[in-house]
Amino acid sequence: MKHVNYSQEHARFLRRRKQNLALVWALRIGVLALLLGLWELVTATGWVDPFIMSSPSRIATTLAGLAADGSLFYHIGVTLWETLAGFAIAVVLGFAVALALWWSDTLRRVLEPYIVVLNALPKIALGPLIIIWFGTGSEAIVFMTVLVGVIIAIMHVLSAFIATEESKILLMRSMGANKWQILCKLVIPSSYPAVISMLKVNVGMAWIGSIMGEYIVSRAGLGYLIVYGGQVFKLDLVMSATFVLCLLAAGMYALVVLLEKILVKNTDN
Amino acid sequence: MENILTFRDVTHIYHTVRGELVAAQELSFSVSRGEFVAIIGPSGCGKTTLLSLAAGLLKPSAGSVESSGSFGYMLQKDELFPWRTIEKNIFLPLEVKRKNTQEARRRALALAEKYGLADFLKSYPKQLSGGMRQRAALIRTLATDPDILLLDEPFSALDYQTRLNVCEDVAAIIRSEQKTALLITHDISEAISLADRVLVLSARPARVAHSHTLDFGDVPPLKRREQPAFSAWFERLWGELNA
Repeated sequence: MKHVNYSQEHARFLRRRKQNLALVWALRIGVLALLLGLWELVTATGWVDPFIMSSPSRIATTLAGLAADGSLFYHIGVTLWETLAGFAIAVVLGFAVALALWWSDTLRRVLEPYIVVLNALPKIALGPLIIIWFGTGSEAIVFMTVLVGVIIAIMHVLSAFIATEESKILLMRSMGANKWQILCKLVIPSSYPAVISMLKVNVGMAWIGSIMGEYIVSRAGLGYLIVYGGQVFKLDLVMSATFVLCLLAAGMYALVVLLEKILVKNTDN
Repeated sequence: MENILTFRDVTHIYHTVRGELVAAQELSFSVSRGEFVAIIGPSGCGKTTLLSLAAGLLKPSAGSVESSGSFGYMLQKDELFPWRTIEKNIFLPLEVKRKNTQEARRRALALAEKYGLADFLKSYPKQLSGGMRQRAALIRTLATDPDILLLDEPFSALDYQTRLNVCEDVAAIIRSEQKTALLITHDISEAISLADRVLVLSARPARVAHSHTLDFGDVPPLKRREQPAFSAWFERLWGELNA
């Protein structure tokens, strides 16, 4: 809502809000700068061995080197593809299974214990099986990513579907709506917020899945760089890959938040 | 007057794992075209079950429910979908019934404008007051031009002042659209101020214990409350409810 005539007090209120926001941002950047600065300082002065701790400048050099020979983008590309593919499959599959389970109460009751067990199972335990079934390529990592995300996706979306207000369903039924109409016009739209929160959770899950997958089996990717760097004691490489990972995860999360802004405008009652 | 809705010896039983519950037993009454019937009863006597039976959402365990006409159902809360504008909410029953024609939409919009919603059509429900939202819910109910309105305590979620105002509005709209209405309520004064006839249900299992034809004619709700007959009816119904 737009107001044209503010009172002076309201103008002061808005100004304070704006100043506060600027302060928060300044402090956020300040904290980062302080940490990086301290890190650089303790390693440059030799208090801490940069061979063990690496340092911001060494990370920058390493990244520049990796970027120069193009391998940085190759590894980013591999991991990004695995993560996005795993994420997309997990989300679509999770949504579809949740739909089926909402549709049939009997099916839901049949599958409930299986889902609970699969959810509790640490997926990494399946590592050896995945290598044997899918080999050592990207397929294995995508499969791992799907495995990590899909159960959470199902549970998130299903609980939102089931939480649809009874009284609104009664309203739809009183209009003569069939199950399909209730689903499309009521259950799915009222679950948008839950779907978005599921996407947010699954961004994290997808990165866990793909990096975990690359730890177990891989010949390329950021997870591979981290493991390789650890094995040959190149901590600069480990830190650099981790840094890139942070950036990518944040970027993907920001995309989901953007989607939320577009999709969920008026859903809060 | 022809009967538009008839309950004949209706018995309804709910089944749960813990046991069964007889909600209504050999319940009989009828509503004639153009009539406004209010049903009051002690709480938990199965009033809402009755509306579900009338609308055909539940099948009676025994007996029959006959109706010649289409239904519009109005619930306690407005149940407007927050992600739809008021206009889109009003079109919802048209979409569901696959009657979403230009003609039907124009008719629904005309109703909305006639009853003061013109400025809110593009607004979302959360931008409206409780009274306005309930009015929008009534227009949504009327959008498909139903023959019988089933009103399930439609004012009970509103604060007292809004409730009297909305009650007044709804009464006027229903009278001017010449609809048949079946109102379920636990509020005796609401029943007296709106209805042509009041049915008093017994405690569960519900039967019709008393039926009274009120003699207010077309007097609107707030005016009815001022009349001496109002408190006389109130005392009588109060006595019967607590019998």
